Amino acid sequence: MSNSSANILDIKNIEVRYDDVILALHDVSLIVPKGKVVALLGANGAGKSTTLKAVSTMLASERGKVTNGSIEYDGNTINKQTPSQMVGLGMVQVLEGRRCFGHLTVEENIISGAYSRKLSKGDINQELDKIYTYFIRLKERRKSQAAFTSGGEQQMIAVARAMMAKPKMLLLDEPTMGLAPQLVAEIFNIVKELNTKEGVSILLAEQNTNVALKNSDYGYIIETGRVMLDGTAQSLLNDDKVKELYLGISKKGRKNFRDVLKEESLTKRSN
Amino acid sequence: MVDELLFFMEVLVGGLLAGTMYSLVALGFVLIFKASATFNFSQGAMVFFSVLAFCGFMQDFNIPFVLAFILAALLMVVVGLCTERLVLRPLMNASEDTVLMATIGLGYVLEGLAQAAWGVEVRRLDLGIGDFPVPWIADNLKLFISALDITAGLVAALMIIGLFLLFKYTKIGLGLRAVADDAGAASSIGIPLKHIMLLVWSAAGVVALVAGCMWGARAGVQFALVDLALKALPVLIIGGFSSIPGAIIGGLIIGAVEKVLEVYIGPFFGGAIEGWAPYVLAIFFLLYRPEGLFGEKIIRRV
Repeated sequence: MSNSSANILDIKNIEVRYDDVILALHDVSLIVPKGKVVALLGANGAGKSTTLKAVSTMLASERGKVTNGSIEYDGNTINKQTPSQMVGLGMVQVLEGRRCFGHLTVEENIISGAYSRKLSKGDINQELDKIYTYFIRLKERRKSQAAFTSGGEQQMIAVARAMMAKPKMLLLDEPTMGLAPQLVAEIFNIVKELNTKEGVSILLAEQNTNVALKNSDYGYIIETGRVMLDGTAQSLLNDDKVKELYLGISKKGRKNFRDVLKEESLTKRSN
Repeated sequence: MVDELLFFMEVLVGGLLAGTMYSLVALGFVLIFKASATFNFSQGAMVFFSVLAFCGFMQDFNIPFVLAFILAALLMVVVGLCTERLVLRPLMNASEDTVLMATIGLGYVLEGLAQAAWGVEVRRLDLGIGDFPVPWIADNLKLFISALDITAGLVAALMIIGLFLLFKYTKIGLGLRAVADDAGAASSIGIPLKHIMLLVWSAAGVVALVAGCMWGARAGVQFALVDLALKALPVLIIGGFSSIPGAIIGGLIIGAVEKVLEVYIGPFFGGAIEGWAPYVLAIFFLLYRPEGLFGEKIIRRV
C-alpha cells in the first residue's frame, strides 16, 4: 500500500454502471502521485472516459454511478460532489472532443474557465497573460469565434480554459484525438510544461499509446473495464505485449490483450 | 394617392409597433430556450400570473404602482427559484422532452395558483398610457398611432439593450452563453448550472411581467393572455429560438405582415386572416430556413 499523502488521486476497485444496468467498469484501481503524469491507455470502449468521469463526478449527468469501490482525491472521499464542487477542490476535467463554446470568442472561452474563482478584472487579465505564455498560438486568435478555429487550437482552448480554474489536477480525455502528429507533439509539450512549471498532476486518457507513454511517468492499460497491466512508462514502452498490441510493433495480425494472455497461458501449460 | 400611401404607412407602423408586443412575449421564451434548450410552454402562464399578481397588489391591497411592480417582479424571482428547486433540479439529467412536458405542467400550476389567489374576473389595468392615437403625431404626420404601441416599442428597445449588456459584459452573462453553447462543458469547468437556471427563469419571469403589463393594458388582464403568448411561436420560428434580436425582429415582421395582409388581402378571404397568416409564414420558414433569421446555425468547420 502506498502512502496516501503522496498521492493526489487514489482509485480503489471501482465498479461503474450506466442506467443501473450497463456495467462499464468492472474493477479499476489506479494511483496518481502528486505532480506526476499518469497515462490511462486502452481502445475505444475500454472505459477510459468512464474512469475519468467517475473521478470528476461528471458521470451523474450521463446516468452513470459508481456502484462499488472508492475514490480518494486530495484527502476527500469523492461521493456526492457536483462537478462544480470538484472544480472548487482543484480538479478539472477536459472533456473528450474539446467541447469549446463555439459561439464565444477564444478569449471568452478561456475566461469562462475562471468562473468558479472570485477574480477582479485585473486579476483575470493577469491570469490570461500567464496562460497565453503557454498557448502563444491562442493569443493571436483571441478575438476569433471558437467554432472557426482549427482542431488543434480548439484542444488548446479546452486545456487553457481548464487551467484558468487553477487546478491541482487535470483530467485530460484524449487530447490528441484527430490531430496531426506535429500538433500532437505541440499539445504534449504544453501539457508537460504545465505539469513541471505549474505543478499540476495529470491523469491522461489516450489511445495514442506511444506518445502518451513517452510523456508520462506511469501507465495503466485497461480493457473492457479492467486494468490489464500497469507499470512505469518506460517499462510499458519496452513490454513485448504492449509493443505488439498498442504500438503496432508485431509481425502477426491484430489481437486483443486477452488473446495474448490466453496464448501465454497455453504456452506455459504446454511447457 | 398620397392618402393611400399614408394609410399604408399607418397600417405598417401600427403593425410594427403591435409586433413589439409579440416580441416582448417572445423574449421570455428565448431566454429559457438559450439555457435549457426547451420551449417553455409555461411562459404564457407566467405572463398571466405575473400581471394578475401586479393588478392584485394594486387593486386589492392599494399598493402604489411602482411598489406593486417591484413586488410582482420579486414574486417572479421567487417563482423562478421554486421552478429551479422543484422542477428543473430533479430533472437535471432528464431528456429535453421531459423538461418540455414539465413546463406544460408548470403552466397549469401557475394558471391555477393565479386564479385561486386573485379570482377569475377580467381586471382592467391602467398604466396611465391610453390605447388611442397620439394627437401630436396625428396632427403633424397624419398617422394614427397608439400611445400604448409606442410605449411598447420603447420598452422592448430598452429590454433588448439591457439584456444585451447583461449577456455581453457580465460574468453571469458569460456563464449563461457558455451554458447555452454546451451545458456539459460549462459544468466541467465549474459553472454552476443551478445559478444560471435561477437567473434565466427569474429574468424570463420579469420579462413576462413587462409583456403582461402591455398586453393587459390593451386587452384586459384575463385568462386569454395565456393563449395570446402562443403567438410568440411563429415569432420564434421566424426570428430563431435562440436569438434575442431574432425575437424582436420576428415580432416586428409578424406584426407588420399580419396587419398589412389583413387590410389588403383579408377582404378576399372574408377577413380575420391575422389569426392564421403568421402561422402560414412560419410554415414557409420551417420549410426553407428552419433555424430562423437569426437562430444560431450549427457551425461546421470545413
